Amino acid sequence: MTKPAEVTRSTTGGIGESPLRPDGALKVRGEFAYSSDLWHEDMVWGVTLRSPHPHARIRSVDLTEALRVPGVHAVLTHQDVPGTNRYGLEHADQPVLAVDLVRYHGEPVALVAADHPETARRAMKRIKVDYEVLTPVSDAEHAVHGDGPRLHRDGNVVRHVPIRRGDQNATAPVVVHGVYEVGMQDQAFLGPESGLAVPAEDGGVDLFVATQWLHVDQRQICYALGLPADKVRLTLAGVGGAFGGREDLSIQVHACLLARHTGKPVKMVYNREESFYGHVHRHPAKLYYEHGATEDGRLVYVRSRIYLDGGAYASSTPAVVANAATLGFGPYNVDNVTMDCWGVYTNNPPCGAMRGFGAVQAGFAYESQMDKLAAALGMDPVEVRVRNAMSEGSTMPTGQVLDSAAPVAELLRLVRDRPMPAERGELDLRAMPGGVSNTTHGEGVVRGVGYAVGVKNICFSEGFDDYSTARLRLEVLGGEPAATIHTAAAEVGQGLVTIEQQIVRTELGIQQVTVHPADTTVGNGGSTSASRQTYVTGGAVKAACEAVREKLLKLAVTRFGEPRANLTPAEIVSVLGTEVIEETVEWRHRPTTALDPETGQGFAHVQYGFAAHRAVVDVDVELGLVKVVELACAQDVGKALNPQAVVGQIHGGSVQGLGLAVMEEIQVTEGKVRNPSFTDYLIPTILDTPPMPVDVLELADPHAPYGLRGVGEPPTISSTPAVVAAIRAATGLALTRVPVRPEHLTLEEPR
Amino acid sequence: MREYRFERPGTVTEAVRRSGSDTAYLAGGTTLVDLMKLEVMTPGRVLDINRLPLRGLDATGGGLRIGALERMTDVAADPRVRLGYPMLSQALELSASGQLRNMASIGGNLLQRTRCGYFRDVSMPCNKRQPGSGCPAIRGENRMHAVLGTSDSCVATHPSDLAVALAALDARVQLQGRDGVRTVNLCDFYLLPADTPHLEHDLRPGELVTGVIVPRLDWAQRSIYLKIRDRQSYEFALSSAAVAIRREGDTIVEARVAVGGMGTRPWRLPAVERALAGRPATSNTYAAAATATVDGTRPLRHNAFKPELMQRTLIRALLELEQTR
Repeated sequence: MTKPAEVTRSTTGGIGESPLRPDGALKVRGEFAYSSDLWHEDMVWGVTLRSPHPHARIRSVDLTEALRVPGVHAVLTHQDVPGTNRYGLEHADQPVLAVDLVRYHGEPVALVAADHPETARRAMKRIKVDYEVLTPVSDAEHAVHGDGPRLHRDGNVVRHVPIRRGDQNATAPVVVHGVYEVGMQDQAFLGPESGLAVPAEDGGVDLFVATQWLHVDQRQICYALGLPADKVRLTLAGVGGAFGGREDLSIQVHACLLARHTGKPVKMVYNREESFYGHVHRHPAKLYYEHGATEDGRLVYVRSRIYLDGGAYASSTPAVVANAATLGFGPYNVDNVTMDCWGVYTNNPPCGAMRGFGAVQAGFAYESQMDKLAAALGMDPVEVRVRNAMSEGSTMPTGQVLDSAAPVAELLRLVRDRPMPAERGELDLRAMPGGVSNTTHGEGVVRGVGYAVGVKNICFSEGFDDYSTARLRLEVLGGEPAATIHTAAAEVGQGLVTIEQQIVRTELGIQQVTVHPADTTVGNGGSTSASRQTYVTGGAVKAACEAVREKLLKLAVTRFGEPRANLTPAEIVSVLGTEVIEETVEWRHRPTTALDPETGQGFAHVQYGFAAHRAVVDVDVELGLVKVVELACAQDVGKALNPQAVVGQIHGGSVQGLGLAVMEEIQVTEGKVRNPSFTDYLIPTILDTPPMPVDVLELADPHAPYGLRGVGEPPTISSTPAVVAAIRAATGLALTRVPVRPEHLTLEEPR
Repeated sequence: MREYRFERPGTVTEAVRRSGSDTAYLAGGTTLVDLMKLEVMTPGRVLDINRLPLRGLDATGGGLRIGALERMTDVAADPRVRLGYPMLSQALELSASGQLRNMASIGGNLLQRTRCGYFRDVSMPCNKRQPGSGCPAIRGENRMHAVLGTSDSCVATHPSDLAVALAALDARVQLQGRDGVRTVNLCDFYLLPADTPHLEHDLRPGELVTGVIVPRLDWAQRSIYLKIRDRQSYEFALSSAAVAIRREGDTIVEARVAVGGMGTRPWRLPAVERALAGRPATSNTYAAAATATVDGTRPLRHNAFKPELMQRTLIRALLELEQTR
């Protein structure tokens, strides 16, 4: 590899700085074009008829009345799917449109295209579906072990991951047991699912869509439409948040089907309610744990059983199960572990990717256990964690040795040693539990402090061929060297486009860098998930820069008659003249391996990210109200390519964890979603959001570009258990389920 | 949304005359438009009353008269309300979101429909929406539902914060119908669900809420609206209390008490008021009085915490009121 050009000194906005985001001002001004803003001459609108039942047999579908509505261009069912009526990220088990069975509340059954969205909705309501309603399977644990119906051909287990390491019969003098539950959390992105499919003269289709992974969408669309990849072209439209919820298909195949049937551009936009049915959620979980330790607080063994409710279809459940299992003991050294983790089919809404991806559920449980252990030992909760903390060279329960920084103890000490926030002031009611709602001037308020640390794998795991592609073009524009960077990696709000610019500036020593819209005319960029884009697409961009620079330096030899190590922008202009250098590079991280199916052993993850939180809460113990006073985080990011974006990610992850701790849950009763709106599904407002001081460590990972470590997910793992630990400290309650609600604080018996 | 005819009557008389069983009045639209989109409400005609002369806040002659079309934000900010009846300002400001309060009218607030998820879901039975179809909330998701005034037909909570404060203040609702005008006590204006939960108000066909009268109550200057909810802003009450106290020295002479988040309508608590009157203003008095709330509560599977929370809410409201001296 060649070294970065030293001319970076003359550029600004390179790595390590926090330049303005190219999309920032537009978003703040409300001028950014999101996918729901797409418009095309002569377009029609598509809508989706969804099942009102979580489990039902379809006896018949009658389209007659719907087709009679003036303005309707098409009404489609599964019979109109030209390719294979199945899709899915890992298992193709989900019909594009239901055939004879619906397995969840909200499953798509039919599509309508009409000249106005309201016309389409009215026609949709005239479709007559005759359902034979079946009893829904709603309990994941029972779905595995019980004698209920099998929801899919191969039974109800999507995946079972066992881990067996060390003495399976180990005993210890101090033992704590716990059973924990995590409710179903929603990604709650603000931009609803939307896109525009435009039929092309070559018989193909161009789709503009908000998504996390263009190429995996393309693959699934091709399969369903029966078209080759060159006939299905995707361009990323403006994405209003994702958090995992856009990794599965929503409107993609449906809009393309309608466009091909009508011969017209078709726009689809879900409303908020439909959005709740239109994307997967975080797996609700039930987790059984037993921790055994010596009397001086060293873990001897951990045994766990985890049930993750995957809902009606597999989505990314297999990978979520692997994460919950392999990360399910936390960042602690323990020689003897037993884990059985199941991902399960039920008739609940499908669950899949969400920030934290299996590690969140396990993190709440194992950190609750560490607090319980500390209490049983009479030890300080930080001390018991530090005593068992992994470090570089530690062995994961999978047998994988941590071969880069793992500063677990240091992160814990950083949050512990921060000055405590001031005692509550009497003047600002916003700082009180209940806030401005007149609930207290301090009566009933008890402060609590809680700690947690978590671990998350970064990038795709278990032998997945995880790579990204970057195409870099260097030329002279307006007398200046200018680069255009082109990838298919999705900017979903996290700031990837800024990072791409920063990397090019640093690597080539030039100022002007344009990010080409992400589309499928360049190779796969992989998913914007698993905290991986800066690592993998960043790595690809860096590699493309190196390839371009190599060519540039060769040209420089011709121009100057001697090799040059560095070129100033003026020299680049002079070397290039009218020449254009373009390089496309595929870049992959080092390979991982599969898990042994019996023992769960293997080099499964390429990198681990660690974060710790300290939560300080004030709890009104009489009214059950919680105010998170401060939520401090320490995280190792290897290298902060964009320090402001790093802190933004840590803040965002922390708040999403806070939301799960005290308010966020999709209520599902007998398979039906009961709160599909942002009035009824609560996410934290700014008044619920505390100051969040952040310590960032930069301990370089020698295997990663610039030494960086993925940032997005780790803070989501430890936030939830830290907040709940603080509430426990204030109340003395056991609190084994999140979210914790007022009634859990006013009605539960002290532990 | 179903098709409907949009009309804009020029006078109140004309509005009332044009109104019929298939008609809805449109004020701020924050409830109506939402429910029309969901097809929970499907009026054939919508009468836009926003240009009718139903604005204004009048405080001459004691008390308040609030025009039905006044916006929540404006009423909350009015110094005569803020200083004379703080519980009203507080109830308004703790409602909904700033954007909604800028649009929503006082009359519409009083008529807003329940947030019961089954009422809002047209694929489910609901006796309020479709009389006789059943009430899935009784055995379903009912954490937010009522424990007072419920029946075997309906357990939906009345959603308004404002109405709770108005109930405590003996407010009256002014109505205009085809047969003229009349005034109804706010507490009587709301009907218990019994076996007719679709009948929510004492409103005759075509009748229009034109204003709200708050009788003069000088000691309402010492009043409070306290609200307990799942997050700090923009959420319905899990429990709330509107309390006003008249004290002489350390003795409570008179009290006004109503609670929200608990009942199928705003719930005045005369038994608590009696238990407070004539007693010393101490936490023992508050605790004893609060026990009078539990009579007649009917908790459901997921809201068994509510009766206890209601007591604690009341006690705390009384304590907080001491601090606002």
